[in-house]
Amino acid sequence: MLLELSEEHKEHLAFLPQVDSAGQGARGRCSVGWGGGPKAAPGTQEPLTFIAVVAEFGRIAVEFLRRGANPKIYEGAARKLNVSSDTVQHGVEGLTYLLTESSKLMISELDFQDSVFVLGFSEELNKLLLQLYLDNRKEIRTILSELAPSLPSYHNLEWRLDVQLASRSLRQQIKPAVTIKLHLSQNGDHNTKVLQTDPATLLHLVQQLEQALEEMKTNHCRRVVRNIK
Amino acid sequence: MELSESVQKGFQMLADPGSFDSNAFTLLLRAAFQSLLDAQADEAVLDHPDLKHIDPVVLKHCHAAAATYILEAGKHRADKSTLSTYLEDCKFDRERIEQFCTEYQNNKNSLETLLGSIGRSLPHITDVSWRLEYQIKTNQLHKMYRPAYLVTLNVQNTDSQSYPEISFSCSMEQLQDLVGKLKDASKSLERATQL
Repeated sequence: MLLELSEEHKEHLAFLPQVDSAGQGARGRCSVGWGGGPKAAPGTQEPLTFIAVVAEFGRIAVEFLRRGANPKIYEGAARKLNVSSDTVQHGVEGLTYLLTESSKLMISELDFQDSVFVLGFSEELNKLLLQLYLDNRKEIRTILSELAPSLPSYHNLEWRLDVQLASRSLRQQIKPAVTIKLHLSQNGDHNTKVLQTDPATLLHLVQQLEQALEEMKTNHCRRVVRNIK
Repeated sequence: MELSESVQKGFQMLADPGSFDSNAFTLLLRAAFQSLLDAQADEAVLDHPDLKHIDPVVLKHCHAAAATYILEAGKHRADKSTLSTYLEDCKFDRERIEQFCTEYQNNKNSLETLLGSIGRSLPHITDVSWRLEYQIKTNQLHKMYRPAYLVTLNVQNTDSQSYPEISFSCSMEQLQDLVGKLKDASKSLERATQL
């Protein structure tokens, strides 16, 4: 399956090959890396290679996915490359969109290369983008899975055995109970529920949930998992 | 067991064959147990024709005294000798003491069940239901292909009589973890019963 890239998208990404020429001009003037990174020792004059610049953009794009936009980085990059901050922002967003769409659809290497080919970039740039995609795909998919609608999910369970010996209305009792603290998490917040159950219900719960686990091993489920891929 | 003067006076009246003949005594005794234990007890439980000749104030007083005593005895799990001693102090004759103790013995289990069910406790799990699903895609992520469970615990709140549900999702590993922990709890329960 090929990625559909809109005209606007292609325009934004067109910035990337130009980095090459801009990068040449920046040679000798800047320190390695930009943005929030530590400044290199004075006197270092590492040339900004094309690969380094695009890789850096890739890194910014993934950071953008993890933590959101950081305008300071855009400003810094724009200055060093002698372009407007908007261009840098669009370039990063274009790259981000390329990576997320590819990861979401889980397209194969070949499909990715064919999709990117349409942009008319150099062989080297295409290879770089492919590498960027493959390296970050798993992480991006994890981030995307957090966007799905979700119910509270199980986190942990603590239990305690209690015996009620007396109450205000009846003395000399022996009433066993199991107190359970269920830890659930939803969208990052944890909450706990304290519940109680009697021994008979506890055995019933165990039996029912064991049946649930057994279901995964039946032929029917195995066939579905095998065939829907 | 601390009982008020009012209860004692009520019982002393109940002991007197002049105020309560043996038929009336039996009826009042039965009415007392019935109004405590029978969920559909009629409010007119004291409206029996054979009790009409007794002053209603006296009737109510004795009924209340009997009911209070029965509850206190049930609460403290009084045995026959405790009951006999108190009733003797209230001037009950042998026959009436026997009658009271027999009636008490017959209703003891229901009484204790009723008293045991009163009180606050944590929300109580009554049942569990589960659903196994195979996630294929979301609008944010295609080609997911992963099984997931949705578990719902039916919970009962003792005081509010409400039935909220607790639902949560979990993966296969998480469900195995959950079941493992519940099995630990039930094993330790088994061990405790063998002590």
